[in-house]
Amino acid sequence: MKKLFSTVAMIAAIACSASAGAPRPAPAKQSNGMPDFATDKDQTLHAMQDELNRSRTRLVIPSVGKPYFIEYRLIDLDIREVSASFGGEVSSAVSRTRSMGVDVRVGNYHLDSSNFVGGQGGFQGVFGNTGQVGIDRDYNSLRQDLWLATDEAYKNAAAQMSLKQAFLSSLTKPPEIDDFSQVPPTVDVQPRMEADWTSRNWEQEAREASAGLKKFPDLYGSHVNYYIIYATTYLMDSEGTVIRNSRCIAAVEAALDTQAEDGMPLHNFYSVDVLNPADLPDPATVAKGIEEAAAQLTALREAPLVTDYTGPMLFDPRAAGSLLAQLVTPSLSGARPPLSSNTQFDQLMARFGGQSEWSGRLGTRVLPVGVSLTDDPAATSAQGQPLIGDYKTDNEGVKAQKVTIVNNGMLTGLLMTRRPGPDFDASNGHARAGNTQPIPSNLILQATNGLDQAALQQKFIQACKDDGHNWCLEVQRMDNPALGAVSPGDASDTVSQLAGGLGSGTRLPLMMYKVYVNDGHKELVRGGTMQDLTVRTLRNILGIGADSAVYNYLQNAEDGLAGTALGAFGTVGENGIPSTVTTPSLLLEEVEVQGFHGEPRRLPIVAPPPMQ
Amino acid sequence: MKIQFKRGRTFVFAAIMSASCVFLASAQPADSPQPPLLTAMQQELSRSMDALSTANPPAYFISYTVTDADESEVSGSNGALIESDDDHNRYLEVQTRVGSYQLDNTHKITGGRDDFTSGAEPIVLDDDIPVLRREMWRQTDRQYREASQRLIQVKTSQQVQVQSTEGGAPDFSHEKPHVSIGPLVSIHVDRKPWEERVRRYTAEFSKSPATLNSLATFTAQATNQDQITSEGTKLQFGLIHYRLELYLQTKAPDGMDINRYANFDWLDPKDAPTDKTIDATIHQLLGEAESLDKAPLVDPYAGPALLTGRAAAVFFHEIFGHRAEGFRQKDIEEGQTFTSKIGERIMPDFISIKDDPTEATLNGEMLLGHYPYDDEGVPAQDVQLVDHGVLKTFLMSRSPLVNVPDSNGHGRRQLGYVPVARQGNLIVSSTNGVPFAQLRQKLIDMVKQQGLPYGLLIDDISGGFTMTGRSQPQAFQVEPLVVYRVYADGRPDQIVRGVNIVGTPLVSLSKIVATGDKQEIFNGYCGAESGSVPVAAASPAILISEMEFAKKETSTDKPPILPPPAHDPDATKGQAQ
Repeated sequence: MKKLFSTVAMIAAIACSASAGAPRPAPAKQSNGMPDFATDKDQTLHAMQDELNRSRTRLVIPSVGKPYFIEYRLIDLDIREVSASFGGEVSSAVSRTRSMGVDVRVGNYHLDSSNFVGGQGGFQGVFGNTGQVGIDRDYNSLRQDLWLATDEAYKNAAAQMSLKQAFLSSLTKPPEIDDFSQVPPTVDVQPRMEADWTSRNWEQEAREASAGLKKFPDLYGSHVNYYIIYATTYLMDSEGTVIRNSRCIAAVEAALDTQAEDGMPLHNFYSVDVLNPADLPDPATVAKGIEEAAAQLTALREAPLVTDYTGPMLFDPRAAGSLLAQLVTPSLSGARPPLSSNTQFDQLMARFGGQSEWSGRLGTRVLPVGVSLTDDPAATSAQGQPLIGDYKTDNEGVKAQKVTIVNNGMLTGLLMTRRPGPDFDASNGHARAGNTQPIPSNLILQATNGLDQAALQQKFIQACKDDGHNWCLEVQRMDNPALGAVSPGDASDTVSQLAGGLGSGTRLPLMMYKVYVNDGHKELVRGGTMQDLTVRTLRNILGIGADSAVYNYLQNAEDGLAGTALGAFGTVGENGIPSTVTTPSLLLEEVEVQGFHGEPRRLPIVAPPPMQ
Repeated sequence: MKIQFKRGRTFVFAAIMSASCVFLASAQPADSPQPPLLTAMQQELSRSMDALSTANPPAYFISYTVTDADESEVSGSNGALIESDDDHNRYLEVQTRVGSYQLDNTHKITGGRDDFTSGAEPIVLDDDIPVLRREMWRQTDRQYREASQRLIQVKTSQQVQVQSTEGGAPDFSHEKPHVSIGPLVSIHVDRKPWEERVRRYTAEFSKSPATLNSLATFTAQATNQDQITSEGTKLQFGLIHYRLELYLQTKAPDGMDINRYANFDWLDPKDAPTDKTIDATIHQLLGEAESLDKAPLVDPYAGPALLTGRAAAVFFHEIFGHRAEGFRQKDIEEGQTFTSKIGERIMPDFISIKDDPTEATLNGEMLLGHYPYDDEGVPAQDVQLVDHGVLKTFLMSRSPLVNVPDSNGHGRRQLGYVPVARQGNLIVSSTNGVPFAQLRQKLIDMVKQQGLPYGLLIDDISGGFTMTGRSQPQAFQVEPLVVYRVYADGRPDQIVRGVNIVGTPLVSLSKIVATGDKQEIFNGYCGAESGSVPVAAASPAILISEMEFAKKETSTDKPPILPPPAHDPDATKGQAQ
């Protein structure tokens, strides 16, 4: 049934490159400055405009009143997926989908039908107010789909409003914070980018990039996936916002796995994300990167197990980027949590943008003195490297703004959508995820007192000595189970083993080294997980490097682990939002590492068959 | 446990309709080289079996199944295309059994959580033997490890749980190996004309203001299956299936959803339905939906009912077919309606029922449940289930019963699931069929006898479900889509809505009093423990002396507030360019 389509389809916020593909001309302008959608070959905005006008003026249940806000969003995806394994093609597919999301609100900006979890909220009927729609960019079918979705969304809003009012009447004091902030409308209709698959032979590249892995006899399995995704987003609301923009992301993701001699399952991954397919590295470069990952995995296989450890830990910039993404992101939301008639929903609140660690701590110190943290959606490069998190307007049509979150260690700002919070009312354009939880784009951590590499290393060694250790731990790369799993089942196994652990601070290193205090030599170790490592740990950072690196990742708004480019399809939760963290090396004073406990898996009884 | 019209949008496809039995006769000559895929399967299976048969616990059976699925799908809705894709994938399924034929890792653990999935791993499309073997090795190790762990649980449960008689039947039957290397099948689909067609078909639906949603989906599938077992079975066969589905959704003024559906299935592109046929079907569906929108709701009713052949076919599939599936007889959590009834009369003696997957057509019409070999490598067999009212046997996979020790080629699964006994082509026949007009007169006579104002004529059934578990009532419910009141006083038939047929199987079967003289076929996909598999059911119309109808669950959502945009006289703004 085509209308059963989850809201996640609308979430994919995809990075943009205006340079790829052949742009279509923008529609002609009318005398009032608004583009004339009726004459555009792409009839999407025309259909939206007419159905929105009809609904705005005529959709009414007398006892409820007209909607005060209607929003139509539509995402149009062209997806190319190629998968190869050890030089052979596994699949190659092209698909095109379009899906809509309709938001209808009744009430007013102060008190409306949103921000309430109760009754049957969240579960849609057969029609749903989200759904897959025709891919012809035609007028009639989209109006039909919007008509049904608007009707359903309006009726749902009316039902939610009555449930919410009933709940509010049971409270001694209703919340004072508005439900929805007001913003000036944005009109930004860009030419639509056409998908172009022809510039390179992606199947051949995937085969070539994966073929070199045949040389690694210790590998059990591997895959190399190429994803190219063109997305055109349409947004129109009853306040006058009209947006059409196209974006693109291209990625190569490789996963490889094996087992150590003692049976421990091990994996490694390689990933590269760019905004323009033409910028994807050539197969030889990809092969080199993947083979380096295979060599690392071979080394991990031989590496000794790490024992339990508590003490200083040094994170190289890329590892620090991944760590920050996990630790800081859940704390950045300034939006209020929705009201809930059921306390069991409290645990879900975090996902809806509630209960953020830093909300309500404005003006207090959350990072060390001298450290600043900003989120800059306009930044396109750092350290000479391209960033993938940039965007101009968010999912609510609000212009993206740079936010200084932490200045000299003190919390000065939070990320906002149009859902106001206790500290801030106005949106700063960070509605990037479908559930309107504000999330970051390009996070940048800077320190005024960065140490050069030698000084930082020296400080690290000294801290180890002071703490009475013969060796300490340095992390060069963090793990990402979503990328490292060769089979989907492996990824879910890992995540389910970790379930709950991530929220309480379990973190997964991938390339972790013992650094010996006597001569500074490094030894790769395996099998450790960091425990209780949360954003509070960052209040005291022992040392910060003068170096810096960019960590590009596809943000997963739900569990904090980075997702895969597959998520940019909007099919796998909210785990595909292109984002970056730029940070120097971080030396943390005390991190607890738990060595490998439990029974390792036995080795295969049958040796692997020959690869040649 | 239900038959359904619509196949869900899944990434895997079950072994689909066959390209007839021709390939059985045209098996590959003995001297031609073995295809690389089979070579890779053979080499890795032999090597694995050598090592694992002496491991602890020993593996006694390994099978590899590779399904190469090539599919084109074109779908339209409300006059626009919503999807048009080609997909080509190859999946590997490995089954490793440890223990013995008598007791192995698949033994049912009472109260335990059943896992019906086996895992289907995407593998390379290229015939690169070392790479294929690497993936087979990987999956074999995984399956062996899981099987070993499961066997420990099975043995523990044997110590602590009472074992039923049927639970004491062996876990796996001994079967003769079969070798047949048939030709591979392929399809070449030009999606463009179908894109135009699905747009046009669904635009036709949209001409009615009653239409909320419409969907037209064309699928073409070529599935090649290679199977090899440690017992020596080696099979390669291909199946082709083309399908067009039409779906229409409207809403009655009281909020009840009205769904109309039609499907066409064919094996050869030249047999595709013509536009004329399809247009007629579209208008029939529209006419029925518009009538149903206005039709009165019918109150709960018990009395005589006449089911047309297609409706009767679904009725038999649900209330008899699922209960004749062998594996249900050995599970003490199942209701086992017929378990001890072999040799007994369970329905009137003029009715016989067989399940015959070996036939691709019946009276010139396609049967969707045809296959040459089942998913356990056993040749499909024509199984006489009921002979003149007497139950003869059950549909069997390789999971034996005490009294039915062998498979009869009905072990079936959707890709990624573990095969269990399933229906193929369930064919009901009658020795005293009468023309439909006579059957209808009998209905009226019976209505008069019972002093009722009307009887019900069931023209189309969407599917239904039947509960076979012991903890539930042994009831079934089927959802009729098109129901008419047939009045005793000669008034014209009246279409009605809002009822489901409910009942219990033994009573309902015993109340069949007469049948029609012409079999009608229902082709669909049936979902149960081993996933969704293509099936057919064929039956003459049946007259039942007493059938119970209950109110059906209905949506309380009112119809949309505004009229459809294309039918809104006040939508002054914006019509199509």
